[in-house]
Amino acid sequence: MSTPIRHPARSDVQSQDGSLAATPETRPAKSGPPAARWIAYLIVAIGALFMLAPFWFMFVFATHSRSEIFNLPPPVWFGNDLGANFKLLTERLPFWHNLGWSLYVAGMATVLTLLFCSMAGYAFALMEFRFKKGLFALVMATMLLPSFMNMIPTFMIMDALGWIDQQRALYVPGAASAFGIFLMRQFAASAVPRELVEAARMDGCGEFAIYWRIVLPLMKPALGTLALITFIQSWNNFINPLVVMRSLPNYTLPLALRSLQSTMNTEWGALMCGSAIATIPLIVLFAITSRQLIAGLTAGAVK
Amino acid sequence: MSMRRPSFLRLSPKWAPYVFISPFLILFGVFGVFPLGFSLYLAFQSWEPTGGLKAMEFVGLANFAFALKDPWFWTALKNTLWLAIASGVPQHLVALPLAAFIHTSFKRLRDGVIAVYFLPYITSTVAIAIMFNALFSQDYGMINAALAQAFGMSHIDWLHDPGRIKPAIAFIVFWRYVGFNTVLYLAAMQTIPGELYEAATLDGAGRWRQFFHITLPGIKPMIFFGVTLSVIGGLQLFEEPFILTGGKGGPQQAAMTSATYLFREAFAFNDFGGASAMSWLLFVVVALLTWATNVAFRTRKGPQ
Amino acid sequence: MSASSTLPRGPRTSATTRRTVLAAGLAAAVAPGVRAAPARTLTVAAFPLVDQIVKDAIPQWSQRHPDVAINVVMRQYDDHHTAMTTALSTAVYLPDVMALEASYVGKFSDGGGLSDLRQPPYDIGRNRSRFVAYAYDQAINRKGQVVAAPTDIGPGTMLYRQDLLERAGLVSSDLQPSWDAYIDAGIRIKKATGANLIGNVRTFKDLMIRSGLKKGQGLYFDSDSNVLVDTPRFHRAFELSLRMRRNHLEGHLETWSNEWAEAFRRNMTATELGGSWMVGQLANWVAPGTKGLWRAAQLPEATWVSYGGTYYAIPRDSDPARKALAWELIEMMTLDPSRQFAALQTQDAFPALLEAQDAPGFDEPLEFLGGQRARELWREAARRITATAIHKQDKFAEDAVNDALDSVLDNGVGIRQALTDVARLLELRARR
Repeated sequence: MSTPIRHPARSDVQSQDGSLAATPETRPAKSGPPAARWIAYLIVAIGALFMLAPFWFMFVFATHSRSEIFNLPPPVWFGNDLGANFKLLTERLPFWHNLGWSLYVAGMATVLTLLFCSMAGYAFALMEFRFKKGLFALVMATMLLPSFMNMIPTFMIMDALGWIDQQRALYVPGAASAFGIFLMRQFAASAVPRELVEAARMDGCGEFAIYWRIVLPLMKPALGTLALITFIQSWNNFINPLVVMRSLPNYTLPLALRSLQSTMNTEWGALMCGSAIATIPLIVLFAITSRQLIAGLTAGAVK
Repeated sequence: MSMRRPSFLRLSPKWAPYVFISPFLILFGVFGVFPLGFSLYLAFQSWEPTGGLKAMEFVGLANFAFALKDPWFWTALKNTLWLAIASGVPQHLVALPLAAFIHTSFKRLRDGVIAVYFLPYITSTVAIAIMFNALFSQDYGMINAALAQAFGMSHIDWLHDPGRIKPAIAFIVFWRYVGFNTVLYLAAMQTIPGELYEAATLDGAGRWRQFFHITLPGIKPMIFFGVTLSVIGGLQLFEEPFILTGGKGGPQQAAMTSATYLFREAFAFNDFGGASAMSWLLFVVVALLTWATNVAFRTRKGPQ
Repeated sequence: MSASSTLPRGPRTSATTRRTVLAAGLAAAVAPGVRAAPARTLTVAAFPLVDQIVKDAIPQWSQRHPDVAINVVMRQYDDHHTAMTTALSTAVYLPDVMALEASYVGKFSDGGGLSDLRQPPYDIGRNRSRFVAYAYDQAINRKGQVVAAPTDIGPGTMLYRQDLLERAGLVSSDLQPSWDAYIDAGIRIKKATGANLIGNVRTFKDLMIRSGLKKGQGLYFDSDSNVLVDTPRFHRAFELSLRMRRNHLEGHLETWSNEWAEAFRRNMTATELGGSWMVGQLANWVAPGTKGLWRAAQLPEATWVSYGGTYYAIPRDSDPARKALAWELIEMMTLDPSRQFAALQTQDAFPALLEAQDAPGFDEPLEFLGGQRARELWREAARRITATAIHKQDKFAEDAVNDALDSVLDNGVGIRQALTDVARLLELRARR
């Protein structure tokens, strides 16, 4: 059995802007009988269909009425009820307000998380200070507890701060994300050379300047990754808004959509329509950040 | 690149770390530590929440003793472990060769394929609940329809048969995260230099040998990262079983995971003290298994 | 994106409200003929469709109290009760009026978080006789406090398909003498029409374990927290459920699922046992196509149970300055026959107020039931229902007993074994 081969430093294969294109030199051999390759392509294609199918149905169901959705067989192509569903949706909820709040909250959450976690991650990775290890372990520990157990204490805190029914209660707490700091620290440790930082310091560069002009640009891929994940998590979260928000116009979209659901009488058509629309910003965001995502995840985890 | 500032404004390297971590730490102190402490405190109390905070009564270890003797606690734990393995292992077993295949065989379509496989990860759970409840329906669902067409199988009661609901949930979790892991591994594979493969090809090594001896070892750190996330996520599995069973435990509690049981203990049975104690017991389990994963990956490293 | 210029503002802060109040007060003082802006707001927390019932009452309220606005905070049913649990647990952001579903009244009643409505200024005891007896009794906690006022109820009823019974040569009175008779009729219906007696055997089991309960008795536990599951009441319920399953009389369908609804549409289910509001559900979306084919009758074996219901409560720790007003609103919603009747008309909410049940027009023919005047049946049933004692672990017991039933029906476990096992499980929790 041959020994595993150590691979050279990351910098050898990464291009300047941090993105990783699959150049021929980095890919393994393509050899293999063509028939097997075509079967493999087929499997991937079928898999892709499975991945896509629920989406497809979500968008298709968004255009059907409630009774049509549960027909046998269910509809596979678009129907004519998109207008009716959308009308019901906007009648029952202040849909655009909710959508707007979702965008605002997720956007603010992303910006704050990127800022605070990158600063802290950089410090944990490249600076020395007391209790560094203990603090990091404490932060990681919070990842191991189910978050809904925090509902009541969170409510108490928000009340003490006077933040009930205000959007900042939704995006500020998450900025101290354990996952975020974990990712930032990993990436900073492998992507930012200590020597560079030291050299800048000796040149007389201020600490903030080092952070802003040297460290951050090198962490761009991880920032893209964290931005995507934070945005998605914030967007889909409905437990925090449930606890903190008190009026329908202030709800974020997932929480507002729940008011269409009841054990007995769910408005499926409108609900699908709302859910489908709610997914669109995420798809757009992913399309924008997918390049960064791949580059970000690899460098962070190699170390 | 020198930025001269007056010396009284310059942040000295000694204080810099504290300044940089303070925004994070302040937020964490307020929003992270307090709930953690509250939950720990609550684990030792008996609390009927609707009575308000003053209704708490100290009961020592009674909640923990109750949890350890509770048959449902152990059922939930067993279900959780089963689901974590059944949903986690296939994720990685499929993601690895899939990533390798995408890596070698797709050029222009690569981003499109990745996007499609990543889609499930960004769906909201509401949409997933709706979709899969419809898809798994016994008489009217697509899955049974397809199985009947393809294999002539009679309709399976996915959601109400205790033996079937676990595979259904495992499938949904697999569906949701296989793309995420594929992206992780694909990204890691980009960093393996091509010369290694060229040399191996010259030596006569076939595709599979290259996969096992170059690709896999080369991305081991990323596998560790992905597996750890799956361990933690699997042991805390909440959303998928919750939405598929409408917040209950499924047929004879076959779909009750530790996290969903905890939720019900707190919000349906109004026993916050018991739920807190259980969440800390779960914490211990997750911490142990995470540490075990850590050790497993470290010892398998071998001589480098 | 600038929040202030492009997005709606959230609710005004208290400082702004105070300024508005002052300004409004000044304006009112200066121009006495002009209607003053709302100086106070009552917050009502509710879930669909109760929120609509409250909103419909606002015009009448505004006439009485033009200076008091009503803010209805609506959340989805589960979310609402979770939010109320959270609010009660921390005693902050409590609404002035809290709508609660009947099962949650039981859960919240012993905690001490809800005001005792017997005390002045509420004095609900004065009006006790005006309410349906059991509805009032259900809101009495262990200390004898009345923690909520009933507004609507769900008297249990048997809905049956007239046409399917006819084909089997049966009338409703054939199903009513006893639960055994109900099953015997089911066998005949199955033979004649192929339809199941009922969609879900659990519905049947739930009714059976409640039949024969005396007033103030507990369902799963007695007042000393002894477990009552290993008793003849449960044995019989399980035996008959097994008999039902063995004769293929139930559809094995989950209530409210699409398959369950579809069975109605396809004439595969001959009866349904549930609250009177089930008629509305059938008519609206479950099986509107079966209109005119259903009739209502009293439940077999003189079983009088209630299915849900809504109450209004005042949290103990809500703002005392508004409690009297909150009670006035509740009085209006629960003791004013016109409001109760309006809720019946618009949301199919069966009044808990006896006067509203005697109002003209109450007992109109119901189209869905082929013109039957079913409300008189339900009125009669409501007066015979007795309150059951609630125990903290009832919710858990319900789930555990359901599991036991499933193990008997699906896995062939013996009834005695299943009940002994579940009794043991409940023992562990009975005194927590």
